[in-house]
Amino acid sequence: MRRLIAYPLVALGALGSTLVGAAPALAHGYVSAPPSRQALCASGAVADCGQIQFEPQSVEGPKGLKSCNGGVAGFSVLSDESRDWPAKAVGATATFTWVMTARHRTSNWEYFIGAKKIATVDGGNAQPDAVVTHTIDLSAFPGRQKVLAVWNIGDTANAFYSCIDLNVGGSGGSGGTVPSTAPTTTKPAPAPAPTTKAPAVPIAEGGAGWAPGVAYRTGDKVTFEGKTYKCRQSHSSIRSWEPSIYTLALWLPL
Amino acid sequence: MKYRHATVLIAAALLLGGCGAAPAPPQAPVAAEAAVQAEGGHNDTDVMYLQMMVAHHGQGLEMVRLAAKNAERGEIRTLAQAIEVTQRDEVKLMTGWLKQWSAPTTVDHAPSAHADHGGLPATGPEEIAALKKAKGAAFETAFLTLFVAHQHTAVEMAHLETKQGGNAEAKALADRISTSRADQIKQMLQLMNN
Repeated sequence: MRRLIAYPLVALGALGSTLVGAAPALAHGYVSAPPSRQALCASGAVADCGQIQFEPQSVEGPKGLKSCNGGVAGFSVLSDESRDWPAKAVGATATFTWVMTARHRTSNWEYFIGAKKIATVDGGNAQPDAVVTHTIDLSAFPGRQKVLAVWNIGDTANAFYSCIDLNVGGSGGSGGTVPSTAPTTTKPAPAPAPTTKAPAVPIAEGGAGWAPGVAYRTGDKVTFEGKTYKCRQSHSSIRSWEPSIYTLALWLPL
Repeated sequence: MKYRHATVLIAAALLLGGCGAAPAPPQAPVAAEAAVQAEGGHNDTDVMYLQMMVAHHGQGLEMVRLAAKNAERGEIRTLAQAIEVTQRDEVKLMTGWLKQWSAPTTVDHAPSAHADHGGLPATGPEEIAALKKAKGAAFETAFLTLFVAHQHTAVEMAHLETKQGGNAEAKALADRISTSRADQIKQMLQLMNN
């Protein structure tokens, strides 16, 4: 690993602690796949989630809770069962992947369905690996389930909470969704919500106006604020990647 | 003496001007780091923010270069390539401003140094080592997971700058970073669950 060049640090050290003291709630984690409710908010699959869409890693509360929002009032949307959370189809087991913005010492990870604990993974009170995935047997819980995943931190009284809606034993492990209203009758299930499938990204048409959410290819031309630009590097456009002096690596003015 | 010298210069200028008559290739645009100067004063947060982001970008670039090579899905490789070229330009812009302010362009330690005690966390050597080891589908999971976390950190650092920074250009950069990273996170979470 490349080391950064040392820099005399008396002043910076002091500055660093100032910044740290003033920092917003930092450093946490959530289940990213299958998508937890906060991941669905952050990915845009579920709209109008409020602040949680910007910080899905921040669902932190005291240990021992059973709530999807970790008791944080500002994130109560996560516990709102009327929100039509799409459920991911998985097989008899599911592999849960955690995004961690800081690898806190870990007491353990716990997984619950309802009041029942279905798995505990020991963290040995150590810093976890960089990439944390847990494969959990769900074969005893077919159908639509809400899994509560809890990351219990070793050196604080707190835990991080994620709820994941699943359709267990659905269609062989990946892809597809089921409606959140459990289909108890035999009527055919409605089509899956399109939002959680691969977004149908429109292809750029010659010289059309720049827009976010478009798959531009090298050579495509767009107009933006009265000027024409040529794409130099294929990409799916996002906010702040519009043609400008700051995105010359993507767009060449013509 | 002076006059003669001046004449030579004028002649040279005319000669150079004459070259312009040849069909010119499309003019290369002036790069942002040459065109945008971070004038108008700055504070310690601006300096710290740019220094930490230069280091953070360095780690990010290591990861996207691996992804551009090793990811199986073309969408992920394309995203990684686009991030690589845009972040490379951001590094030039940030180091240019730091030099303009006569500030060092590096920090004494990786930004991950504070992570253990709840400070500003970031990607560290272990994350990059894990990524280098992973293969196939596990590589994609590792990259997306680590890079989502990496960009969450970029958003958190940007908020610090927009709240406490003093330089208008640096704060505008932080705004752009915050927006583009939020949208990259969106894309990566979708890629993780497709």
